[in-house]
Amino acid sequence: MLKKLITPFEVLKSPHNLALIAFWLVAVIGFWYLSTTGQKHLLPSPQSVLKGLGEEYQEGLIPHIMSSLSLCAQATFWALLVSLPLAYLSTLPLFHPVIQGISKFRYLPLTGITFYLATSPLISSGRAMQVGVLVIFMSVYFVTSLLSVISDIPEEEFDHARSLKMNRWEVLWHVIIRGRIDYAIEILRQNLAIVWMMLVTVESIVMSAGGLGTIIKNADRYANHGRIFAAQLVILLIGILLDYLLSELRYSFPYVNRTQK
Amino acid sequence: MKHEYKLGGTVLLVDNVSVTIGDKPIIENVTMEEHDVIRDGHSQGQMIAVVGRSGRGKSTLFKTITGLRKPTKGRILIPSDEANKPIEVKEGDVGFVDQKYTLFRHLTLYNQLKLAAKKGNIPEGEIHSRVMELLSKWGLEKAKDQYPGHCSGGQRQRTAILSQILSSGYFLVLDEPFSGLDVGNVEDVKSMLRLVNASHELSTIIFSTHDIELAVELADKIYVIGFPSQDKHVGTIVSAFDLKTLGLAWQPYGKDHIDLVHDIKKKILAS
Repeated sequence: MLKKLITPFEVLKSPHNLALIAFWLVAVIGFWYLSTTGQKHLLPSPQSVLKGLGEEYQEGLIPHIMSSLSLCAQATFWALLVSLPLAYLSTLPLFHPVIQGISKFRYLPLTGITFYLATSPLISSGRAMQVGVLVIFMSVYFVTSLLSVISDIPEEEFDHARSLKMNRWEVLWHVIIRGRIDYAIEILRQNLAIVWMMLVTVESIVMSAGGLGTIIKNADRYANHGRIFAAQLVILLIGILLDYLLSELRYSFPYVNRTQK
Repeated sequence: MKHEYKLGGTVLLVDNVSVTIGDKPIIENVTMEEHDVIRDGHSQGQMIAVVGRSGRGKSTLFKTITGLRKPTKGRILIPSDEANKPIEVKEGDVGFVDQKYTLFRHLTLYNQLKLAAKKGNIPEGEIHSRVMELLSKWGLEKAKDQYPGHCSGGQRQRTAILSQILSSGYFLVLDEPFSGLDVGNVEDVKSMLRLVNASHELSTIIFSTHDIELAVELADKIYVIGFPSQDKHVGTIVSAFDLKTLGLAWQPYGKDHIDLVHDIKKKILAS
């Protein structure tokens, strides 16, 4: 058994996998305790994190979570509204070069985008600016990934649709839009992870709008490590939950195999 | 015993077709003419095999015959509804089944066939009964609500063939339908092709294969596609074997068939 654990590509039985996860969980928690027992702490102690979490709850953790989720939902909605049509329009030769160009915007730095949004007359509030920044980031990555999915569709699928007397718009609908909707959800899942990771930075641009990023920023001001760590854990757990929900949404399509990557 | 037959009108004319992709000529001056084969007491169509080494342009020729690729030169004619007025082939006129038996991944087998039937202009009121009849006849009734990703290769292949039959009518082009199949599945596909072939007088099946024995067993005409010479790497028809005139079509497989296999293999190796 021990030899199997250190043999490349070895596949373990399900109970053994569970035992392994439990082992690592205990090891991480154990390391956390040990690393916070001495004089100099590598991490805040579990007690201080729990205390920080309690304080954050008292000070409105739930409304802050809702604020962050709302920001993410708004950004996702607008990003999908912008990037899905853009990616699908890339199949039209007229728009192809423009949309390829938009995909290259992913190399733009965040600070520059924030500056231009701040000076834009279209942005009326701090919240709108946060949404704007996230939409731009999410859209450029979403378009890039979807373009890659479209270019990877085997030629046989287009030929099959065409051989059934479908016109080009019907081919687009059946092969790319309906035929790859689960891929679009998978891309959304990957992009949401990026957005969720950027949350603290974006929410700290305008503190008055609230959100989990604001909690971290406030705790950071007073170097309250317990509270920072607690907020990080909350962000991590919600991120994992969102990831799980989108993954389940993808597999809810009956034609998607669980084994499909 | 040589079977009697007559030749009717032209059902397919590949007229001096060339295809160039980018700057590279792939096939050149390909000409094939197929007639309706009429046998007293038999309702059957035509079965044509195209054989040749890899990279000789079989797939390009097939895509051109099915209208999925436009020829750079020449034309492909099929009969129209009006007698003596052939039309140039366009996308969808000729059914095409590729090696992977491609289907729409988001549709159940039933819905694949329903969509194909709609595209084949089958009246709305008849679609369900027609699709169910075919599913039952081809042993797919139990799998009708499954998606292609959950079906066996054989089920997918049968559905792909049926989709094309429903939408395109009499013509069916299959690119290497026997590729990668086990002995049992090869027998299934042979039965399927014979079933399609017997379904209508004008039914015309064109398939490619690397299994020359199978081509000789099934086809009533075999074309060899290859390079015309060692220094000219462009595919063209280098030989044609009409098994009807040779007296080998529709006969039990015997010594003469084996001799023909040897002749065809020689032609393939030389091209």
